[in-house]
Amino acid sequence: MEKIILDNNIPLVLKENKNTPRHALCFYFKITEPEKKAGIYTILNRLFLQGTKTRDAHTLSQELDENAIDCYSEMKQDFIRFKLQCLNEDFAKGLEILSDIIKNSTFEDFEKEVIKLKGEIQAELDEPKTMAMDAHYSHIFKNHSYGHTYTNILKDIDSITQTDVINAYHTLLEKSPKVISLVGDFCAEDVIGLLKKYFLDIKNADCSVNNEVPKLEKLEVVKVSKDDASQAQIMQGWRVPTIFDNDYAPIMVMNTLLGSSGLSSRLFLELRDKKGLAYVVRSTYEIYDHSALFNVYIATEPKNIKTSLEGFKIELDKVKQIPVSETELENAKNNLLGKRQFFSETNLQQSSLIAYYEDKGLGADFESEFNKKVNAVTVEDIQRVANKYITDKYVLTILAPQQYLKEI
Amino acid sequence: MCKSADYLLQLMRELMTCLLVLKDRNTEVNKVENITKREINYPYLTRPVEIYERENGHKIVLAHKEGGLVNVSSWVKTGSINETDGNNGISHFLEHLMFKGTHKHKAGYFDRTLESKGAIVNAATWKDYTFYYVTLPEGQNQENLKLAIDLHADMMLDPVIPEDEIGPAFTLGDDKVSQKRERHVVIEEIRMRQDQPWTKIYNSTNFNMYTKHPYKRDVIGFPETIASIPRETILDYYRTHYTPNNITTVIAGDFNHEEVLELVCKGFDFKGRANFDNPKHELDTPVSEPKYIELKGKINTGFAITGWLGPVAKDLKENIALEIVNVVLGEGQSSRLYQNLIEKSPDPVFNIVTTDFYNFKDGGNFFVQANYKADKKEIALELINKEMTNFLSGDMTEREFNKAKKKLKARFAESAETVSDIAENIGYYMTVCDDLDLVEQYPKVLEKITMKEVNDIANKYLALNHSVTTVLLPE
Repeated sequence: MEKIILDNNIPLVLKENKNTPRHALCFYFKITEPEKKAGIYTILNRLFLQGTKTRDAHTLSQELDENAIDCYSEMKQDFIRFKLQCLNEDFAKGLEILSDIIKNSTFEDFEKEVIKLKGEIQAELDEPKTMAMDAHYSHIFKNHSYGHTYTNILKDIDSITQTDVINAYHTLLEKSPKVISLVGDFCAEDVIGLLKKYFLDIKNADCSVNNEVPKLEKLEVVKVSKDDASQAQIMQGWRVPTIFDNDYAPIMVMNTLLGSSGLSSRLFLELRDKKGLAYVVRSTYEIYDHSALFNVYIATEPKNIKTSLEGFKIELDKVKQIPVSETELENAKNNLLGKRQFFSETNLQQSSLIAYYEDKGLGADFESEFNKKVNAVTVEDIQRVANKYITDKYVLTILAPQQYLKEI
Repeated sequence: MCKSADYLLQLMRELMTCLLVLKDRNTEVNKVENITKREINYPYLTRPVEIYERENGHKIVLAHKEGGLVNVSSWVKTGSINETDGNNGISHFLEHLMFKGTHKHKAGYFDRTLESKGAIVNAATWKDYTFYYVTLPEGQNQENLKLAIDLHADMMLDPVIPEDEIGPAFTLGDDKVSQKRERHVVIEEIRMRQDQPWTKIYNSTNFNMYTKHPYKRDVIGFPETIASIPRETILDYYRTHYTPNNITTVIAGDFNHEEVLELVCKGFDFKGRANFDNPKHELDTPVSEPKYIELKGKINTGFAITGWLGPVAKDLKENIALEIVNVVLGEGQSSRLYQNLIEKSPDPVFNIVTTDFYNFKDGGNFFVQANYKADKKEIALELINKEMTNFLSGDMTEREFNKAKKKLKARFAESAETVSDIAENIGYYMTVCDDLDLVEQYPKVLEKITMKEVNDIANKYLALNHSVTTVLLPE
C-alpha cells in the first residue's frame, strides 16, 4: 500500500492486487456543513447521475452500462463517496466519466428527481422494518442531521429548492476534505498520471466539522402502529462513543459476543435457539463521525413483545454483571478479526475501507492498529463498557398492531 | 495458441482416472478408491477447476483462488422440487435442523468452533437445491480449512436432529406451548416474509404460473406444516435425499489439492449409503391467456409482479438470451423500462420498475416488478404491456444488445472475485445443470448469440398470453 499526496493536497492511497480483473476506486467528500433541511444531500447525491454538461442522464447511464462500468455515488451521514469499478482495460474511460460527473453535473433534473424520490420513499415505507427503523433513528438522533430519515425528508422536501442543492454541491466541492483510494492490478505510474489528469483541478480543503449530537437525556418509548403486521419490530438503542474513542474496540468485541453476526452469539443462542422467539435477532454498532449507536433488534410474533424485552434485559444485565470467560472473549475477538477478511476480500471492499479510515484521519492502514486494539481488550473492559454505556437512557421503538402496543 | 498445443491441452483435460489411497484410521487398511477427474477452464481463474467423481457418485470440485480465504460448501439436489402439499417446507426446515448437532458434536459446537476462527457459517434452500457453506481464513498451515472440512463433513453426514431441538409438534395458535424451539424459528421466518409486500405478490404470481409442477409451492412452506411435521418424517427425508450421487462438495481457495481431496474423501464417508435418483417432473405449460390476481393490504403504494415460465437451466443459449432481455428491459438506469416509464414519463406513474430472471432446472422464470402510485394501477399495467409488446416486435437496438452482452461478460469477472461467489457459481452449475462445462462455454455462447436469436427466444417465452400478474393495492 502506498500513500501519496497529490499536488492539490488530496491524499491518494494505492494498493496493488495482482491478477484481479477489475480496478476499484473510491473518492470521498466529507460533509462539512450539515444539511438544514432533511434531504438536501440525498437529492444532490441522486442528481450526480442525472446528467452533466455534455451527457444527459440517459447518455450517461447508457455509456456506463455499455462499458460495464459501475460508477455511482453514495450518501452517508458524514460523507458522499463516489465508487468506480470496471474491467482493467476500461479504467481510463471510467475515470473520464467519473470526473465529468463530479465536475460537470448540471442538477437540471431537480424537480423530476424530487418526484421520483418521494415515490421511492413511499414504496420503502410500505415495509414494516423500514417504518420502524425510520421512527427509531429519527428519535434517537432528534434535532440532528443523523436523524434525517425518510419521514423527515418527506416533511422537508417541498421546501427544498434547486439553489439549496447547488449550494450544497459547491460547499462539497470547495470546502470538503477529500480522499482517493485505488485497488487493482495496475502500473502505479500510469494510474497516478490518469488521476492527476482528471482530478488535479479539484481542491482539497482542511476544514473541521462542528456537528455535535445532542445528548440523549432520558428513556423514550416510540410506538408505531401497523394493524396488519404479522411480526412486531423491536429495536432498543443507546448512544455510545465512536471510532475515535478508546472504548471503540471493547464495544466492538461486546457487540460481537452479544449478537452482531453469526450463529453463536448470546442473543442468537438465547432468544432464537433456546426460546424460538425469532428468525432475526441481533445487535449492531453503527459508527458515525460525531456519535455512534448500539442497538439490539428482534422481529417476533406480536404476543412475544414482553418476553423479548425481558430476554434483551437478561442478556444485557448478564454482560454487565457477570465477567465473560476468557474463552468466550478470545472466541469473540477471533470471530471479529477473522470475519473482517471476508468483508475486505474484493478490490472494491478494500478500496472502500482504506478510504474510510483515511477520511476519518485514522490512516489507511488503521486495520492493523485495530487488530492490536482488539487483541488488547480484557474481560474487565467488556464489563466496564457494558455498565458505562448500556444505561437507562435509551430509545425503545416497537412496531406492532395497535392492540399489542397498548400493553407497553 | 498453436493447434498442436491446443490439442495436447484438450487431451490432458479429457477424463482422467486416478486412484486415491485412503488410510482407514481404525483398521490401518489402505482402501483404494477409483475417482474420475476432469478439468475445466473457469473464466478469470488462474488455474483450471478440477472435478472429481467418486465411485459412489459424490462429486468434489476444487477451485484455485489466490488469497487467504477459503470456502467449503456442499450442495444437495433437493429443495421444494421434491416436496408435496403434505410436506411443503421440509427441505428448508431440515436445512435449519442440520445445524443441531451430530453424534460427535452437540448442537452449537459447529457454529461456535468455526465462528471463533472468523468463519461465516450458513446455508440456503431454494427450489432445486439446498446448500451449506463455511467461509473462513485458511489459518496457519491451513488448519482452519482442515477443521472446516472435518466439521462440515460431519454435519452433512451425521446429523442427529434431536427432538428437543426441533421442539414438540403443536397446533398453530396454541399459546400453551412451552418448548419453543426451531419450529418456532422457522414460523417466525414465515411471518417475516408475510409482512414483505414483494414476497406476497411473488408467491402469488409463482403459484399461479404453474398447474402441477412442484415449483408452484413456496420454498419455506406453511406454519401449519412446520408446526406439526414429525421428526421421523424429517429424518426419512434426509436419508432419502442426502445421498452420495445427490451431493457436490466444493472447495475454493489457495490450498494443496491432493491433500484436500483426500480430506474430503475421508470426511465424506457415506458408509455405503444407497443412492437416490430424483424423480423427473413433467414440465408445465404456461397459461394460455393472461391471468390476473388482485390482493389488498395496509400499504400506501401499489405493487405488481408479472411472471412468465422460461427455459430449462441446461439450455445455455436460451438462458443467456433471457439474461440479455433482462438487462435490456429492466436492469439499471439505462434500461428501457426505467427510461421509458420513469425517466421520460410526462406524468409520474411508477416509483420502481425492474425485471428479473431466475434460472431453474425445469424452467426459469422471467419477472417484471413494479411499484406505482396507488391510484394508477390500470395505466401502470397498460404501460408495462405496451413495453413488452414493443420489445417482442423486435425493436431492440444493436446498442442495447451490445450493452447487455458487455454487462454479462463483466458479471463473469465479478463472480470470480471471491471464493464464495466462485463456489456458488460452481455449485449452481453442478447441481441445477448437472454440467460445469457450461461455465466454460458461457463466454463463447454469449459472444456468438445474435439479436435475431434473442428476439426469437423472447417471443417463445414472453408472450403476453402466457403471463401471470399479481397486484397488491391499498385496502
